[in-house]
Amino acid sequence: MTDLTPTCAFGEPTPRTHRIGALTLTEDAGLGLASLALRRDAPAPDLTLPGPGEWAATGDVAVFWTGPGQWMVEYPGGADRDVAADLALRAPGCAVTEQTDGFVCIRITGAPPALEALLERLVNLDPRRCGPGTATRTGVHHLSVFVVRPAGDQLAILGPRSAAQTIWHGLDLAATRQARVA
Amino acid sequence: MLIPHPLLGLRDASEFTYLGDAALLDRPDGMAPDAAARFHDYVHLRDNPAGLHRELWFHEQGDRSWLVVTRNTLTHEILGAELARDVKTGGAA
Repeated sequence: MTDLTPTCAFGEPTPRTHRIGALTLTEDAGLGLASLALRRDAPAPDLTLPGPGEWAATGDVAVFWTGPGQWMVEYPGGADRDVAADLALRAPGCAVTEQTDGFVCIRITGAPPALEALLERLVNLDPRRCGPGTATRTGVHHLSVFVVRPAGDQLAILGPRSAAQTIWHGLDLAATRQARVA
Repeated sequence: MLIPHPLLGLRDASEFTYLGDAALLDRPDGMAPDAAARFHDYVHLRDNPAGLHRELWFHEQGDRSWLVVTRNTLTHEILGAELARDVKTGGAA
């Protein structure tokens, strides 16, 4: 069989990372994703399902709300596994879809004030409503993305993988301009 | 313009797309004897009030839920928003 070499979302062999002033942007190439939607006749899944606009880490996975009756399940380091099959076992009868290959995840780390200043530049959201444990779908750079805040000093942007360069460009530019005025 | 999303709080109107009169939720029965006439009215006839108007908005760059938003067409004041599925099912969903 042909020996294929996997590449990251930016077409490079290793995940992209860039430190700009107080902020560090890093591609999380290892994140496995699967979406979950409840069905009327299905039993409750064996997972903690956070409420609207929330993100919660439980055990080996993290879950965030994406819409009424719908969640995205994150598997850290699970990009090379069949995470949808695992989720289907935990959520029998629910609608489960593999999402790993559809998304790019860019993690931004830095002090909370610096991240909140970046949020003010990036999204049409009130940064006070984007505290630790929140996840919101909104527009960044004319693209629909999930803005996830796992912790005060961490921000993750999950967007369409085919537009990874555009998302990176938007984030990098905003962080660069922020570093210039800081 | 900010829209008070019932689940997510105030969200910018740029995240939404607009469909029109919330009366579109009441789709006529296609099997009724006068279905053709009723569908003609459903598709083509709209009230165009100067004042309060209930209308459908889709939170496209958000949680992708349909909302019924009450808006004053004279002032653009938003008086409330409900999930369209709650309106349609009487809050049973």
